[in-house]
Amino acid sequence: MPKLRMTGRGLWITLLIVPPMAFVALFIVYPILLAFAYAFFDWQGLRRGDFVWLENFHTVLFVEPYRSWTLNAFKNNVIVFFALMVLQNGLGFLLAYALWREMPGARFHRIAVFLPVVLSTIIVAYLFKLFYHPLFGVINISLRSIGMGWLAQPWLGQGNTALWGLIAAQAWHMVGFPTLVFLAGMQRIPGEILDAVRMETESEWVKITKIVWPLVAPSATIVFTLLFVGAFNWFELPYIMAGLDGSPFGSTDVLGLYFYRTAFGNVSAGQQDFGLGSALAVLIFIFIAIFATTLTIRLRRREIQL
Amino acid sequence: MAQLSLRNIRKSFKSVQVLHGIDLDINEREFVVFVGPSGCGKSTLLRLIAGLDPITEGEFHLNGRLMNGVAPSRRGIAMVFQSYALYPHMDVYENMAFGARLMGLTPQEVEARIAEAARMLQLTPLLKRRPRELSGGQRQRVAIGRALVRKPDLFLLDEPLSNLDAALRSEVRLEIARLHQQLGATMIYVTHDQVEAMTLADRIVVMNQGRIEQVGSPRELYERPANTFVATFIGSPRMTLIPVTHAGEQLTLEGAGSVAPGQLPASPDGRLTLGVRPDALAITRATDGDEGFAASVIYTEYLGDNAYVYARLGDGTQVSVRTGPDVQFAADEAVTVSVRPGGAHFFSAEDGKRLVA
Repeated sequence: MPKLRMTGRGLWITLLIVPPMAFVALFIVYPILLAFAYAFFDWQGLRRGDFVWLENFHTVLFVEPYRSWTLNAFKNNVIVFFALMVLQNGLGFLLAYALWREMPGARFHRIAVFLPVVLSTIIVAYLFKLFYHPLFGVINISLRSIGMGWLAQPWLGQGNTALWGLIAAQAWHMVGFPTLVFLAGMQRIPGEILDAVRMETESEWVKITKIVWPLVAPSATIVFTLLFVGAFNWFELPYIMAGLDGSPFGSTDVLGLYFYRTAFGNVSAGQQDFGLGSALAVLIFIFIAIFATTLTIRLRRREIQL
Repeated sequence: MAQLSLRNIRKSFKSVQVLHGIDLDINEREFVVFVGPSGCGKSTLLRLIAGLDPITEGEFHLNGRLMNGVAPSRRGIAMVFQSYALYPHMDVYENMAFGARLMGLTPQEVEARIAEAARMLQLTPLLKRRPRELSGGQRQRVAIGRALVRKPDLFLLDEPLSNLDAALRSEVRLEIARLHQQLGATMIYVTHDQVEAMTLADRIVVMNQGRIEQVGSPRELYERPANTFVATFIGSPRMTLIPVTHAGEQLTLEGAGSVAPGQLPASPDGRLTLGVRPDALAITRATDGDEGFAASVIYTEYLGDNAYVYARLGDGTQVSVRTGPDVQFAADEAVTVSVRPGGAHFFSAEDGKRLVA
């Protein structure tokens, strides 16, 4: 058996790796495993009851009212994902392109676009809650002042606008992130390739679709995957802006809120069920893991080594 | 085929002026090489002609049409880049088809042009490969092929050989010369390598610090350089410049002796710069009463069919002398360097301009 000797270098590496590994194991791996285990038990408050096999999973997926709640939250997550794909990643790509082509004021806008990302979610959420306020929110006041008062409405108070209100706030908050990633990807494109395209066409559309977009595929993989994970884990912003119930009437309910409410209870219902909550958490985890992996593998395939 | 005229072209980047008034005419079917040290503005000038950078001042006409402000893709120009700039996500065929399709050609025409270019450049077996799967020389040929399929009036080549190894370089150089003959198109070629310039060009434009130093055929530049810059830039090893004073027929270098290379130009204060190429110098072991400059040998470079002896003159000037391959000198050996008749160039000691005897 080879003897394991601690050289100076090995010691350093061990010292640097072990603490973060321990941290990850204790606060990430262990809770995930725990949630897996909890999902198979019946719970009375904090007291663990019988081992119930897959009954918790069955309940959240097929037994009313959980079934409708699960479907509703999932549907909202899907809407959020696709909406943010357009508003956050699509806009981010165009912003990055504008910044990259050094359009007037690029230097200022490079910072301006990224600044909201630095803000804490709670600040953004409260800010937008104020913007959307039906009486003294800046949106309704602005609409009224330009004679379009008929458009003013309680944005967060009605089912057909509330979720979109949250999506807009989220897109504004995070659009700088895909912008930054895309911009970094574009800056890796050699200048001579761009010159070569300019020798052949002056159409920005051709440049974007045929050259820039395929060449920033690695950036797209990153932002698409992160957005997918982020959209299905969405919690903070709806929690602050719409509350644990996803009000009004569950129109802003997403899996994150629904899971939290189910596992830990909320003020109005007071009900608390670790078993169902853990089952939901496990399902969300598995769903995200499978889809994110598939997405990454498929997107990876179209990447080109520059 | 294209005919170019550049009138008083200036280019500034912010407050830095890099081209100080370039005047140049290029004729149809001509192969013109811009040569000069890095930073002389030759690539900048090429980019102005391509339209990739805007001209700050002056006028550029192509076939009689003013080109200032015309988009690069509308100038009828194709460019081959130093890094080849192939589209990494497209195979060889697509790389060539991309530009051709954008010109509005029919699919049959695109197909035919690519087939023709691929045949000329021996790319046919590589059409389905991605640039990453090609060698440097193959990529270079694809880059040229991409320019060919557009059938441009004017080819621009920006240091196209600088990323190739020495053996491949002379091969591709030959290829480019052959293409120029075959196509009869106007070509402008930028390089810092004077050997490429000498071998390819109909006319060479020597540039330095944003100005044209001299325009002429390789032979003109070699035999009658307009000034000391051109004299030392063209030819390898470079021409030796020796500061001398003259009295009568004699040119004297302080502390090294004198030579009498024949007829001398007039110089007001008796000071001159004598320029001699390695092949116009002769070197002998020092004996008393020699005519020539006393020197000591630094090093002998043996090249097979000949050799170059590097020696230091009395005032510290380093000279290179071409000799037969059998000559052997020891380091620090005392020698006499003399100028062969008719081999001397004379330049003004003040501004370095050529003086005619």
